[in-house]
Amino acid sequence: MSDDPKRQTMIPASGSVAVRASTSSSMLAAPVVRELLAFIIADETYALPLRSIREILKVPPVTGVPRAPKDVLGIISVRGRITTVRDLRRLLRMPESPTDKHTRVLLVEASEDEVIGLLVDRVLQVYRLDEDEVELAAVVGGDMSEHVMGVGRPRRPLRVDEDEVSAEDEEILVLLDPGPLLRRS
Amino acid sequence: MSDVHDEFLAEAQEIIEALSRDLLFLDQAQKEGNVQPDLINEVFRGVHTLKGIAGMFGFQTLSAMAHTLEDLLDDLRLGRVALSQEVLDVLFEGVEGFQRLLGEGADEEAVDVKDFAQAIERVSKKRDSGEVTLEDLDLDESVLAVLTEYEEHRLRTNLSQGTPLYRLRVRFSLTTIDSNLEELKERAKSVAEIITYLPSVGGGDGDEIDLDVLLASDTPADELGEVLAAGGDAELERIGRQGGRETSHEALVPPPLDDAPGRPMPTSRPPAPEPPAPERGAAPPQQQRDMSADALSLRSVANTVRVDIRKLDHLMNVVGELAIVRSAVARITERIRANDELRQLAIELHRVNRGFERHLEELQEGILDVRMVPLGQLFDKLARIIRQVAREHDKEVRLLVTGAETEVDKLIVEELSDPLMHLIRNAIDHGIESPKVRELAGKPSEGILSLNAYQKGNHVVIEVEDDGTGMNDEMLVQAALRKGILSQEAADEITSQDALELIFMPGFSTRSAITDLSGRGVGMDVVKTNINRLGGVVDVWSEHGSGTKFTITLPVTLAIISALLVRVAGRDFAIPITSVQEAILLDRAAVRTVEGREVISLRGSTLPLCRLDRLFRLLPVQSDRRFVVVCAVGQRRVGFVVDALDGQQDIVIKALGKSLADVRGFAGATDLGDQRVALVLDAPGLLEEVLRSQELQQLGAETHE
Repeated sequence: MSDDPKRQTMIPASGSVAVRASTSSSMLAAPVVRELLAFIIADETYALPLRSIREILKVPPVTGVPRAPKDVLGIISVRGRITTVRDLRRLLRMPESPTDKHTRVLLVEASEDEVIGLLVDRVLQVYRLDEDEVELAAVVGGDMSEHVMGVGRPRRPLRVDEDEVSAEDEEILVLLDPGPLLRRS
Repeated sequence: MSDVHDEFLAEAQEIIEALSRDLLFLDQAQKEGNVQPDLINEVFRGVHTLKGIAGMFGFQTLSAMAHTLEDLLDDLRLGRVALSQEVLDVLFEGVEGFQRLLGEGADEEAVDVKDFAQAIERVSKKRDSGEVTLEDLDLDESVLAVLTEYEEHRLRTNLSQGTPLYRLRVRFSLTTIDSNLEELKERAKSVAEIITYLPSVGGGDGDEIDLDVLLASDTPADELGEVLAAGGDAELERIGRQGGRETSHEALVPPPLDDAPGRPMPTSRPPAPEPPAPERGAAPPQQQRDMSADALSLRSVANTVRVDIRKLDHLMNVVGELAIVRSAVARITERIRANDELRQLAIELHRVNRGFERHLEELQEGILDVRMVPLGQLFDKLARIIRQVAREHDKEVRLLVTGAETEVDKLIVEELSDPLMHLIRNAIDHGIESPKVRELAGKPSEGILSLNAYQKGNHVVIEVEDDGTGMNDEMLVQAALRKGILSQEAADEITSQDALELIFMPGFSTRSAITDLSGRGVGMDVVKTNINRLGGVVDVWSEHGSGTKFTITLPVTLAIISALLVRVAGRDFAIPITSVQEAILLDRAAVRTVEGREVISLRGSTLPLCRLDRLFRLLPVQSDRRFVVVCAVGQRRVGFVVDALDGQQDIVIKALGKSLADVRGFAGATDLGDQRVALVLDAPGLLEEVLRSQELQQLGAETHE
């Protein structure tokens, strides 16, 4: 089934970085760079640690699960493995929007034995941020939610299609912590 | 590294299971006063092997513990310590300790080795004092010198038990000695215990050898002679005090060394007992014996392979994918067939695809078969607990097991362990009375706990039955009233069977005193939930004063089930066919409303209906025709109303992810191909839910009147 074009892994626009957990193991060792996958939900830019992301899928047909929590969109089969898909908009209490050609499902390692699909509006690119480009929630302090790890301020501009990002857009990535995020319900 | 670690765990687990089985046999034998030396040897070998591999993989505590236990076992098999219930307690405690050390997340401190060593010390002190000297045997010193300590012990034991000892002289051809010896052992097994065999001096003309076999037997001498001599040349002599005939001393002296070079020696006790010269014969070949024990345990595992269950799951997934490919090919074949020119080609393709399908089915069955394990594995574990619990509570319990060979999917066996353990603890704690009470009630002081398993169609039935005090409906109802589980109105009308079912209600527990066995609040409702989750049901029968029986009915396999595909509100659902009785067209005119609930009359009995679209809060679709799928669990039935039937299909059922574990009503999901996924209904669970909500509603209606 893996050669099914509809389900093929899509590499983000920057294309140069393979989305594989093993490639980013270096980020544990030295506090130099963080590798992050940036994406958009409801016009805001978020990012998840690249090593937590297994795969990026175009949206396959999702089977709804009656009685499931509200943010659960349903289940899909990823090469024979039943995977739960959650809507990141609903998870972050944001208004829903219909899926379009940019909508993607990120397969995120939720725990040791479960991979969860997260529905996002569009995938941007992989960032490698230096330590001084990241403000950790612990440092920023205040009213940040548990699932927000911190804020990233890349020195380079975002490389989205020019027509969608105007010059004065502030380049801020909200860094999400997959653990607390997926424990939310 | 972790693979190796898993490998160790699996092997250790196997050894521990065998150990506890053997200990139970020993326990039985000890009670009957007939302890087989082989059994102690078996246990000794198991512990020895465990010590070895534990040391190899760095499980120091386990290894140390096995070491102390090994010492005790050595004393036992050499007769330095007599086997008593106290000794058995320590042995069981040891096996329990091994289990704890191997348990998930266990650290090295899970067991206090010092404590354990002290326990061993205590029982080891009670040495066997009734010594019998072998001098009474009239055996030549040179023979005594080559006997191992173990062999001496066996001679001594037999002497003190008054079992007659014999010497059998047999002549074997050197070329066939191995098989001859095996045959002899086989023949002797039922009538005598072979203590040792030594090459004798007299024999040895050319290519033949004489062996002196020392054996003990209660069988009359002439009968014994007949059985043993079946192979031909053999001469039987009684030896020892009671011996009628003079024993020739020289006969037992091994042949001189110079006889040996280049000769094949008897190898069935590898390596062969080397014929020692009298002056160096003082050291018993203890070392060699231990080696042969290892060789044995290695051989016994050589023809099996241990496989991680996840690998089998993976193979099953692949088979599922292949099934999808097969149906895709079938669809394409249909399209080709529509083209007249390609019709012949389509027929050939169809034939090939059918062949593919057959092999795929075989493959599927093969994988399922590999996953099957006998329930005996689980029963052995439970037997250990039964003994322990019974002893802790001063109850006499005899376990009767039937159908241990019944096979069930490995996953089901794993999941069954907790529910069965709970039922058994309940049976001993609440069910079986203390010996005194039993005698007063005119029952034998020993209670009987039966574990019966058998296959019934594509289900496996497991019964847990005790002949204890049984349950009292009245008390159950009172307890339920006190706990507010039951209303007075409902209590007034409750049938005795329904009263029994009360024990499955959450929060129900009849005993106020909390024992370490049961009564911890989590109880029968958890048992029921666990079994329902496996697609099974549990029924209870009890009669006050004479006993209780729980009957668990389970599907044989979890992985592949036959299912009825249905459509509800535009979605696909699968209903396991094992729960489906029939499917009928819904005759709208026949639907009646009873107490706000829709029912139809089906062949004279009332069938409650449940509209799945409403139950699942789905937007109903317009449809002229609807169907009723009649599902049954035990005696209870519900008709689920669906929009369309899509036929029957074998599906590979897969678990929903952890994040959906709390969602009730679904047993899993299945891949239908074309990226379509259908939810599989948990028919027993839904049935329960629907009937319960109806009962609650009725109850509410009644109290409002």
